[in-house]
Amino acid sequence: MIPLFNSDHLLDRRKFMNLGARGMGALGLASLAQPGLLNAATGRGGGVLGNPNFKPKAKRVIYLFFSGGPSHIDMYDFKPGIRKIHGIELPDSIRKGQRITGMTSGQKSFPCVAPMFEFKQHGQSGAYYSEILPHIASLADEMTLIRSVNTEAINHDPAITYINTGTQQLGHPSMGAWLNYGLGSPSDNLPGYIVMISKGRGGSQALYSRLWGSGFLPSKYQGVKFRSSGEPVLFLNDPPGIDRSSRRAILDSIRAVNEAKFAETGDAEIQARIAQYEMAFRMQSSVPELTDLKSEPEHVFDLYGKDSKKPGKYAYNCILARRMLESGVPFIQLFHRGWDQHGNCPRDVRYQCEDIDQPTAALVKDLKQRGMLEDTLVICGGEFGRTIYSQGTLTKDNHGRDHHGRCFSMWMAGGGIRKGHVHGETDDFCYNIVRDPVHINDLNATALQCLGIDHEQFTYRYQGLDQRLTSVLDPTVITPILA
Amino acid sequence: MEANGLEPSLEADRRTLIRRVCLDLTGLPPSPSQVDRFVNDTDPNAYETLVDSLLSSERYGERMTLAWMDAARYGDSSVFHDDGVRYMWPWRDWVIQAYNENKRFDDFTIEQLAGDQLENASLDHKVASGFNRNHGTTDEGGVIAEEYRVEYNVDRVKTTANVWLGLTMECGQCHEHKYDPISQKEYYQFYAYFNVNSDAGMQTRNGNSAPMVKVPSMSQKQELQQRRDKVAAMKEERAKANPTAKEMDEWIADHRVSELPNTPKLDGWHFLGSFTGKNKDAAFKKNWGPEKTVDLAREHDGKKWEPREYEDGKVHTPAIPENSAAYFYRIVTAAKAQEVMVSLGSDDAIKVFLNGKQVFANNASRGPAPDQDKAKLALTEGDNHLLLKIVNAGGPAGFYFRLVGSVLPENILALLREDVLSEEHVVKLQEYYEKSAWPLAKELDAKIKAAEKAVSDYDKGIVTVMTMGDLAKPRKTYVLARGHYASPKKDEEIFPGVPAALPPLPEGSSPKRVGLAKWIADDDHPLTARVAVNRYWSMIFGAGMVTTVMDFGTRGALPSHPRLLDWLARDFADGGWNVKRVFKQMLMSATYRQQSTATAEQLRLDPENVFLSHAPRLRLQGEFIRDNALTVGGVLNGKVGGPSVKPYQPPRIWNEVALNGGLFYKPDNGANLYRRSMYTYWKRSAPMPNMMAFDAPTREKCVVQRPRTNTPMQALVTLNDVQFVEAARLFAERVLQQGGEDFDSQLDYALLLTTARPADELRKRVFRNLYDSQLKVFRADAKRAGELLEFGETKRDESLDSARHAAWTTVASAILNLDEVITRE
Repeated sequence: MIPLFNSDHLLDRRKFMNLGARGMGALGLASLAQPGLLNAATGRGGGVLGNPNFKPKAKRVIYLFFSGGPSHIDMYDFKPGIRKIHGIELPDSIRKGQRITGMTSGQKSFPCVAPMFEFKQHGQSGAYYSEILPHIASLADEMTLIRSVNTEAINHDPAITYINTGTQQLGHPSMGAWLNYGLGSPSDNLPGYIVMISKGRGGSQALYSRLWGSGFLPSKYQGVKFRSSGEPVLFLNDPPGIDRSSRRAILDSIRAVNEAKFAETGDAEIQARIAQYEMAFRMQSSVPELTDLKSEPEHVFDLYGKDSKKPGKYAYNCILARRMLESGVPFIQLFHRGWDQHGNCPRDVRYQCEDIDQPTAALVKDLKQRGMLEDTLVICGGEFGRTIYSQGTLTKDNHGRDHHGRCFSMWMAGGGIRKGHVHGETDDFCYNIVRDPVHINDLNATALQCLGIDHEQFTYRYQGLDQRLTSVLDPTVITPILA
Repeated sequence: MEANGLEPSLEADRRTLIRRVCLDLTGLPPSPSQVDRFVNDTDPNAYETLVDSLLSSERYGERMTLAWMDAARYGDSSVFHDDGVRYMWPWRDWVIQAYNENKRFDDFTIEQLAGDQLENASLDHKVASGFNRNHGTTDEGGVIAEEYRVEYNVDRVKTTANVWLGLTMECGQCHEHKYDPISQKEYYQFYAYFNVNSDAGMQTRNGNSAPMVKVPSMSQKQELQQRRDKVAAMKEERAKANPTAKEMDEWIADHRVSELPNTPKLDGWHFLGSFTGKNKDAAFKKNWGPEKTVDLAREHDGKKWEPREYEDGKVHTPAIPENSAAYFYRIVTAAKAQEVMVSLGSDDAIKVFLNGKQVFANNASRGPAPDQDKAKLALTEGDNHLLLKIVNAGGPAGFYFRLVGSVLPENILALLREDVLSEEHVVKLQEYYEKSAWPLAKELDAKIKAAEKAVSDYDKGIVTVMTMGDLAKPRKTYVLARGHYASPKKDEEIFPGVPAALPPLPEGSSPKRVGLAKWIADDDHPLTARVAVNRYWSMIFGAGMVTTVMDFGTRGALPSHPRLLDWLARDFADGGWNVKRVFKQMLMSATYRQQSTATAEQLRLDPENVFLSHAPRLRLQGEFIRDNALTVGGVLNGKVGGPSVKPYQPPRIWNEVALNGGLFYKPDNGANLYRRSMYTYWKRSAPMPNMMAFDAPTREKCVVQRPRTNTPMQALVTLNDVQFVEAARLFAERVLQQGGEDFDSQLDYALLLTTARPADELRKRVFRNLYDSQLKVFRADAKRAGELLEFGETKRDESLDSARHAAWTTVASAILNLDEVITRE
């Protein structure tokens, strides 16, 4: 056989140490070697990252993800001249031969559609907001509105995978899993990454467990889905006939035998298992307490609006999210489905906005009132925007819009984010970016920056590559949107 | 090891050893009788005998296949967008069989990668090639098909290189590999082998996409053969059947009379109408009076028959209002019974009645024209009553009528009308009769048609499996700039090939995938055997000698025992790529047989046990934790292979994420709830949550080694999931039925089932306390006992005292959650 391992000269001892052993990534190994680095005066809860690269402005993240592709044109990206292009054919000088999806590539005509909503300027920045977002508009002076987010993907599955995991290829960890791995959780009875899902009135595009999955990271970093009916967390409830004291008695017997086994074998995994069973027991009380909104006063429900008492609704999830943030959960992601307006755009975008406008603004205001907004990063947006041209026939009061990744709008607020700012600009057709593009990986890099993490140094060795959330291409932290 | 100040540990005791080797080779615990036999076996070869018997168990093939399913990114759904159903389980069953038959790994490799391209490829060979159809496929409406077609091949390159060669070939898609000697061009040479596959970029959300083959089961094969035999027999009967000379003569004689140009006499038309219905269909359907019998004297709805002149062979447009019917009647007189053809036209719908029987209907919507329909009239001798019904939906109405004449073809008619029939004429007429006019032939032909339909209907129900298969006309390959599907560098065509840093392709190597497969499976390939042996090692020792099992490149880990790895690899290839033999070598080693307890010294000097101075303790993978619970509960359904099954799953896991929320998981019932976990239906966008908690990969991408985490979610699964609670209850039932009378002997039996050893004092005390306290609880509250015992589908043994059964269920559940039970020690 041809010798294979005669290439030792390629690898010195230092490199070998960095290669990671027994499946641990470089950071994992580094922190094992120097446990002092862990949790060193950072208040961080057991993640692999030791001291932050920068002073963190935010300690936790609430990511409001609107899946399906919210129409930036009908919500955020308004310019007074846009009424003039209504009904005209999308000029070739704007489309520039760029690819569009298989759903409209066969259309003979691409009539432009100005939003069928009124827009007004709000706040000191004078940014325009649609009449269907009156509450979010009132946050104008709290947030940075980015009108120049962009992605290469033009269909749901690749696009939603891309923005949530940093790549269109499968098998990579979600942003929440990365942060759970890096930062850990200061809460000893709740997971470090929680996901909740709600749905709008119409049909909705699929979601995938990979969007909150751990990819090549160990699975304990995956998002834990909280559910609106039945058990709030899968398998949380004791089986019928087992009450708390029976459960305690069972756990005590398990623990007694496991401790004896640890004494016999010296296997540290057993100690870890004892701790995990105790955490499971604590979660069985802490989760129901957390998800029981009885203790919330009436004015809170008023703040979050008409759906705030209905489990499973976005508004309800927003209140839950605030409670989780208060309990120390560092990364929470709400998915609200139903933003895929290929047809009936005017009616359905309005419906979707009715679901999210008041609760979203309420969440930001609620955090502010509680003094938490300054160290909570709020991110809001979807996987792409929508086309200026109509999908299907444009009538007096109806039209559709196809997917559009070349520019769309998102906003961020809270810890580390500049207030009352608008970043980036699109052309007269809301089709191409003319100033300050923000790629979705730039956006993720910027979010990491707010958390005190240098996205280039936050890596995990997998398949020979020091993998990053923000990909190995070189995204830029968007400093103008930082406070 | 010794250079690091360590010494090997003692050999593990027999109870530990038998449980370890059973779990490692089959994923299932030993039975108490197996344990008993092994512990008391004085034969010096007892251990070897045990290893041999496990290697020859069907369970070995299942255990090996489960690992291969991760590597092959096996799933029962299509991954992208809708993530709909697909059927790849016949491929999975092929793998089980291959491992159980101990197929040589070089053959296994060639068949998995290119079975379809072997000379005289059998159905099994084609099924095997499905390895590279397990990747995700899309059905998303807006996709650009080429983007995904490229993606599928990118996945095939990555999976093939990662799994067989331990090479991170995927880095070469966009640029030169940064660390290993693989250029971007070499990447596309490797890719070229796959780029000619004929599957499309846009595939389906509902079943399999071509290329695929049908994979009938043995019983299906038999049934299909029986049905085909039936058709063949009928055809044979039909071929043999001959009309008698008498029959033929009579037919010829009859038709020489009936088919003489004695055209039936057509009387004039009578008209009746019109009758307006709610709509056209109603007017068409309703008998307004004359359809059974025509009586020209009779009135219908105050309307009378009236004579009309309509010349035959012309379109007529009588006035018929919207949604109304009208009738046209005439007498047709035949000199002799005969069949005649008439040609018709109508605006809109038409029905034809002869002697009170409907003989033709066409609920058409159209303008009138000649010869739109043809109808056959079987005239009796004498007067026949012909009635047409025309229904108009709106606008003008119309009809057309022409007598065509005989139903026989022109040439036959001509023969019949010959004055004198020659011998040759008679033969032709007889042939015609036999083929087309003979009543028995018509009957047989109809039966054959039905039998053939029964074959094709049955055939449609036979499962298919996707396979590899090249295009008839190969597609050209180019380097894709930055890996982008739409940026081929067309200045240079790329041909199939392998990286220059590896041994060259042999002289005359096929430029097809099979050439690549044979190159990979070559005895002297420097990577294949090492990567495979290292993977097997990791299955037994928890980590590979090269810990990065899918990366043997310069960024991968160095081997902990390079000479041992080389020796095992060389021996593997030289020894006929005998997988069972490699396992036996590893399992027979003193290293494997050491005890797993570690001394403080060992932990200090080698915390990760790189030098294997003791055996590792490894938490079982999720599937085996569940399989163990089902086994000790006595409900494991041992069926091997077949379609994937749907055991318990909490509600709404699927529709919570499914496209439009429309897809619901419907659990199976009965025995399918208790199959081995590897057969659980694997939906890759929402995989089985109790297995995901235990590090099962989603299988969207290939994974050779799973992480082994330790989380509170795992505790919640094994404590609360109905599958585990029910298994604990069944386990308790079994212990109460078979474990003797007193608690101590019952506990011995329970621990023997789960840990292969009886209870010690500590465990006796701990579980006695639990049992006593819970017995008190359930004695005081029979309702709670009942609730616990009713959880899960299988009914309990009602003859057992319910408080005792419930109390024992808590003990059983505690046992199933012990570290020593979910760990291979």
